[in-house]
Amino acid sequence: MTVRVPRRLVVLYDARCSLCTRARGWLDRQAKYVPMDFVIAGSAEAHRRFPDLNPAATLEELTVVGDGGQVYLGAKAWVICLWALREYRGLSLELGRPSRLATARRFVAWFSRHRLRFGVVPRVHLG
Amino acid sequence: MTFTVATYLAYLVISIALTVWVGRTLFKNGRVFLVDVFAGNEALADSTNHLLVVGFYLINLGYVAFALTLGRDLPDLRRAIEALSGKVGGVLLVLGLMHFANLFVFSRVRRRANLGRALPPIEPDSCLAMGARG
Repeated sequence: MTVRVPRRLVVLYDARCSLCTRARGWLDRQAKYVPMDFVIAGSAEAHRRFPDLNPAATLEELTVVGDGGQVYLGAKAWVICLWALREYRGLSLELGRPSRLATARRFVAWFSRHRLRFGVVPRVHLG
Repeated sequence: MTFTVATYLAYLVISIALTVWVGRTLFKNGRVFLVDVFAGNEALADSTNHLLVVGFYLINLGYVAFALTLGRDLPDLRRAIEALSGKVGGVLLVLGLMHFANLFVFSRVRRRANLGRALPPIEPDSCLAMGARG
């Protein structure tokens, strides 16, 4: 399967967890090969832009959508984000190897499950 | 002409010849490399190549001039050959270091350029049908 290479990424992040918003801020500050937009997962804007995505699923797992409709979930979402960054593309190519991706996937899944323990942002308005 | 002056002259001739030879090698072979790095932009490759080679000549000829003085007289041919060998050896080491530094710069630039063209290492999990906006 050949899928067009994304030229723009939309990152759906969970605004309820402070780790996620900090990660979003960090991604935002990095120099990029591919521009990135950030949309709060489960928000009205997310629904407007991607009506086919299940909002509950995007809150469950980091979701990144490319401009060609490519959907990357969890560990793959991280790999594609790093791939978009000038300083971290090398790391992304390393992590994206099939042998490493399994480990990365376990790691990201663990973090996703426990992310709200690292700090919850109080009173967030999804909107 | 004393042994000392003859040694100086021999040193200058050998060192400058070596520097020019290495510089020309760099200039000739570096070009192909840089054209690839700059994705076929020959003007930019030539300009970068030229600037690199000028820096290379400046540093090497600077070192050659700087290291000329022996600080002692050479009474016979044996001492002259020893002194010349030491001086030329120094120049060769500096040339070698500069050459490797250049290769290092080239390979870094090239690695960067290749990364810029690298495809994502993964396929997407799924694909949405994209409407008018996305």
